[in-house]
Formats: sequence, C-alpha cells, structure tokens
Amino acid sequence: MSVVLVVEDNSLVVDAMRVLLESGGHDVVTAGTVADTIAQVRERAPVLVLLDLTLPDGSGLDALREYAGTAARKPITVALTGHDDPGLRKKCLEAGCREVLLKPVPARELMAHVNGWMAEAREAGDA
Amino acid sequence: MPELDTPQSLPEADLNALEARLRDATTLIADLKARDELKTQFLSNISHDLRTPLTAIITHAEILRDGMLGPVTDRQLDSLHGIINGGRQLLGMVSEILTYARGAANQMALDCVPVRVDDLLRLARELNEPLCARKGVTFQVDMSDDVPIVEADREKLTHVLSNLIGNAIAFTPPGGRVWVHAQPWTTDSHREVRFEVGDTGIGIAPENHKLIFMEFAQVDSSPSRRHHGTGLGLTIARRFVELHGGRLWVESELGSGSRFYFTVPAERTG
Repeated sequence: MSVVLVVEDNSLVVDAMRVLLESGGHDVVTAGTVADTIAQVRERAPVLVLLDLTLPDGSGLDALREYAGTAARKPITVALTGHDDPGLRKKCLEAGCREVLLKPVPARELMAHVNGWMAEAREAGDA
Repeated sequence: MPELDTPQSLPEADLNALEARLRDATTLIADLKARDELKTQFLSNISHDLRTPLTAIITHAEILRDGMLGPVTDRQLDSLHGIINGGRQLLGMVSEILTYARGAANQMALDCVPVRVDDLLRLARELNEPLCARKGVTFQVDMSDDVPIVEADREKLTHVLSNLIGNAIAFTPPGGRVWVHAQPWTTDSHREVRFEVGDTGIGIAPENHKLIFMEFAQVDSSPSRRHHGTGLGLTIARRFVELHGGRLWVESELGSGSRFYFTVPAERTG
C-alpha cells in the first residue's frame, strides 16, 4: 500500500486526516515536528507528504529542503496552510511544493487531489 | 480681546508644567501603541489557533456527509450539513479577524496582476445567484462595454466584491433587488473602474456612514441584533481597496437602500 505522510502538530487535525485518508485506502503515517518528518521520510519512504508549515521546532519548508536533498525517492509534497497569502504560496512553490492548499480543504476535494497524485506516482513507478 | 499667551511669555513654572505634561503624554502614547500591538498579536494568534480545531470538526463532518465511512440517513445528512455550514460560517469570521490583524500589523501585501472585470462579475453571479434565488431577491450584474482591465490582487478584489454583495443580500428583504455594476471612471487623469454594489434594502442613516467603516463597529450592536458578524468586513474591504490606490464609499438613507462604490486603477498601458 502506498504511504501518505501527514505532517501536522495538532492531534485533532491529524485524527481527521487519518480517518479521511484511511477511508480512501491509503496507508497513513504522521509526524508532528521537523525532525520527525525527516526521519519518517527516510524510514517509510512516503509517496506523498501533506505538509503543515508551522511546526514546534521550525518550518515545514525546512523539513522539505532537508529531505528533498537527501531522500532516495523524492515524495510529492503538498503544503496545507491556514494562511491565504500570495507571498507564502510563492515561497512554498519555490521550496519544491507541488501545490499549496488552504485549510480546511473540503474532504471530497482533498481525496480527489490525493488520488490523482498517487495515480501519478504509480505511473512514474514510485508507488 | 485679551492677548493669548505664547510659550515665550509663559512664566518658567508654567513652562515646566507644560513640558512635564508633554512628557507624560508621549509616554502614554508609547504605552497605548505597545498595547495596541499586543492586541493585534493576540487577535492574530487566537484566530490562527481557532482555525485548527475548526478544521478538524469540518473535516470529520464532511467525511461522514460524503459517505466515506458508510451510508447516512437523510436526517443524519441534514444534521451534518448544519455542522458543516455552521463550521464554515465560524471559519469565515475567524479568517476575517486574522485578515484584520495582519492589516493592522501592516503585514498585508498585494499580488497585482491584470484582471478582467467581466471574469470577476461572472464569478460574482455564479456565487450569489443561487443565494438570492433562495431568498427571493433579484440579482442583476452588468458592465459598460468600455470597461478596461484592472491592475489588482484578484483574491482581494474578489473578497471586496463578495463582502459588499453579501451585505447587500443580508440587508435586503425578499422581493427586493441587489445589483452590481462596473463602469470606466476617470479622476485626476487616472483611469479607473468604478464598481457599484446596490440594494433596495433597509438602508443606512447618514449619521452611521462613518461608523460602518470603523473596526468592530455595528449600527445595531445590541445582543438582540438580527445581523451578526465581526464588524470587520467593511473595514477590511476599505483597506483592500485603499491598498490598491482606490476609494470605497457609501450613499444611502434609512429605508431607501444602499449603494456602495469603489474604484480600482485600470491596467497601465504603453
């Protein structure tokens, strides 16, 4: 089963994302800090990372820069942010995010996105 | 007529007293500014923190509504719609406070691109026609043929239009009319587009025209008021328009509807 890594430091949001993604048949792992994120990418090699930007030990983008440079297989990374800010969006895209979505993404819309990215990874032979 | 004292003619003691009061006033202003910054920071933090559990509530309810965990009955679906609609309404208000806090802290930047006015108006029609139809209010959108492309931050401009149209619908009873009109506008050799959002609703007394643009203020602020909100919508709308170099104003009288106008600079050509 293809792995989705949910990076989020709030357990309420983590639970909601887990229920949503598991109902769609995805294997979910989670990380709540920058350090956890880097470790999970290394150990579980997720196909997709849903990345919160504000983490207790730094920015989600710091984690992305780190694992993008070192991971054997680079996951598709999508930023999930509460800030509707064009400057932040640009920063995320420049750091290597595929897409920037504003929380809360409607459940059906997020599932459609996730399924699309997973299919894309399968075609590329990554999942 | 007695001669007015000037600082030069004041006795030394009075001059010292004045200087002391000036020092006190300067300290007080600095203190108030610091407190205002703290308030803004608090608003920013609390609205960000409120969004997080709201995100979880809405997502869980949507998972159930969309049948991802199995079928739901019609009555359960009605209840889930209630949770989602209430959650999204609350989220809108929290986002409004966050936007205000950013503006107050001068953290608001524009991302200006050429924007076609007919695209904006089409979107406004798509978003608001169903709402008006449900309420029994007629919604009309039109623009002059020669309206130029504007130079604007699309999201912020959409926000301003949505806010004004949302207010117009909220304050117009069934059987009334809400309209949006765009036309070219020239002031001091600047080419602009002037948007008008009008309604046949309850109107605003002239003595309240300033008040409605003041942060947190509402014409009816009583606990029993019929229309609820943060009192920040028009403050933010005006700030967005002014960031673009435009103006936002109102013409209205109690009982005779309202017309809100705002201008946005046209795209520079040549």
